[in-house]
Amino acid sequence: MERNPMRRQLAVMRQSLFDQGYLDEQFVQLEELQDDANPNFVEEVVTLYYRDSARLILNVEQALERKPFDFNKLDGYMHQFKGSSSSIGAKKVKAESTLFREYCKSGNGEGCMRTFQQLKKEYATLRKKLEAYFQLARQAGPMETACHPK
Amino acid sequence: MQQRQQQQQEQHHFHVLAVDDSVIDRKLLEKLLKVSSYQVTCVDSGDKALEYLGLLNNLDPHSTASSFSSTSSSCSQPPQQEGLKVNLIMTDFCMPGMSGYDLLKRVKGSSWKDVPVVVMSSENVPSIISMCLEGGAEEFLLKPLQLSDLDKIQTYLLKSLHHSCTNIDKTDLIDHVDEDINNNNDDNNNNNNR
Repeated sequence: MERNPMRRQLAVMRQSLFDQGYLDEQFVQLEELQDDANPNFVEEVVTLYYRDSARLILNVEQALERKPFDFNKLDGYMHQFKGSSSSIGAKKVKAESTLFREYCKSGNGEGCMRTFQQLKKEYATLRKKLEAYFQLARQAGPMETACHPK
Repeated sequence: MQQRQQQQQEQHHFHVLAVDDSVIDRKLLEKLLKVSSYQVTCVDSGDKALEYLGLLNNLDPHSTASSFSSTSSSCSQPPQQEGLKVNLIMTDFCMPGMSGYDLLKRVKGSSWKDVPVVVMSSENVPSIISMCLEGGAEEFLLKPLQLSDLDKIQTYLLKSLHHSCTNIDKTDLIDHVDEDINNNNDDNNNNNNR
């Protein structure tokens, strides 16, 4: 059975997401809510997050094409993005959205644009890592099987 | 213990109305509440919450029944005031259209005024917090919510339990309420480890 080594690999992958600051404690909260009745809960929430984020990123992109910037509107989108990022424990993305909001509040368009580029990068990186993580989790199989001694 | 059994039975009948415009937060809140053995109805706006409570004008209860998602089919009822039981309302503060504060005020000015309302927000702004508490909110919780936050709301629900007329012997419940809150916390912790 290959599952034990895969489980180990999964644990290492998971730990590095925390160590490298991509995820924070809130992600652990999600994991604690996952149970037998809802074994894919974390992935479901994260999938919802991708969908929601895609919408918000598009909204911000479109808003940044209109000059002069509507900072209130931009801040509104980013408030939502910050909220959802915070809810899943997306630490770096949350930090960028906080910074973006500060630039909105001080009316700094350049700052907003720069930060938005950085935010998109962080989001893309996180998404890639999480997708790899969940794919490995699926391959590694359910916890119960992996714990049975040979 | 009979008290705890009665309490757990009552807990299974606790119905929470959750109001949040964020689909992620609704899913999270629903799960938090389900894991804590509450029944949940989620709506995505203050208007939908008022509609559910029968507080909007020109409401046709039967036509709106299908648009609300409830977790327990055994407890879903058409949203008419008669027979509809809501033990707690949890609402996000910052929502497009009607804010959580507006919803709070509407609820407190209605026949649902005795239902505890908890306001949630991702922002820690003292003036907003005091405004909500002064407006009648039971509690203000910072998002993202965690299981430990649910312990607080359990207290309000247990309090509201012995204020309302149910089949429980109220004096026994009041005497043991503190002890049972602690016991229930243990139970919840055990449940989470399942």
